[in-house]
Amino acid sequence: MGEYRTQMKIIGDILSTTRDDLQDENGATVTYLIRKANISHSRISTILKTLVSQGLLERGDSQGSNRYKISQSGREFLQVYNSFTKFADNFGLNI
Amino acid sequence: MEFLLENILNLVGFLVGLAIGIMAYIGFRNTGSPTLFRLTIAFVSISLGFFVIWSGYMIEDFVIKSGTIERGTQTVGIVIQTVGYFFIAFSHSIKSFFPKSNYFRSVGILPFFLVSTVQLEHIFRSISFILLVYGAIETMLSYRDNKNKGAISVAIGLALLAFGEFLGWYSFVFPESILYTISMVIKIGGLIALFIPVSKIPLKRIKFDDDLDKI
Repeated sequence: MGEYRTQMKIIGDILSTTRDDLQDENGATVTYLIRKANISHSRISTILKTLVSQGLLERGDSQGSNRYKISQSGREFLQVYNSFTKFADNFGLNI
Repeated sequence: MEFLLENILNLVGFLVGLAIGIMAYIGFRNTGSPTLFRLTIAFVSISLGFFVIWSGYMIEDFVIKSGTIERGTQTVGIVIQTVGYFFIAFSHSIKSFFPKSNYFRSVGILPFFLVSTVQLEHIFRSISFILLVYGAIETMLSYRDNKNKGAISVAIGLALLAFGEFLGWYSFVFPESILYTISMVIKIGGLIALFIPVSKIPLKRIKFDDDLDKI
């Protein structure tokens, strides 16, 4: 059985993918992120919309499809997220 | 000696609880994580509980000068700490702390009106003990998954707090023995063990950002 992931963990996975594991310099497609983050299309659409509106991801258009890249705010958020993931890990918890 | 140790314990508890609580709050403000919110409540409560007891001792020492701390103050402090321990345990998914049936709910409240503050203190010490043991076991089990050495330190800290709570409770049977002093030393050790891994979290570049609250 798969590990249960909180919404926060999914956001962390998406941001990590767009920072460390991009297909090319144009950014990641939704299909690529779905495969990497392992969630449904409807769920990732909502999360991506929120992340773009909060300025954590930048949406671009390349070869007729939406591409996502992490923004500077997203990088800072991911750094904070990683610090507090470790903090919660110390208590045996997931953030 | 006992009075001095009690003051050190309560001050260390207040400061460690406050430091971890503030750190958890910064995390909550930046990420919106409910887990960090529960940890904030837990450690702010623990800190406040220690502060109430410390204030009780200070007021007794400098104002009332009766020789013993007001039992009610001690009980209030312990109750507030127990709330904190509950939220640590609750974060490990205690699903049903309170009885579900209306009958048991109503009966569950009755003892609060029937017992003295001394007995209340014993009740809350024993609840704290159970919650701390539960938290220590769950934290230790989490080490299997995340292999984070900090989890061992936190588990040892919670276990020492539980053991100290147990000895403190047991010392009522032998009031003049060294047990109470040992219990306080063990609890101070537990608080330090709790703080060690948390103190290693780098917070230099973390800042509040209101835009991220809605995530």
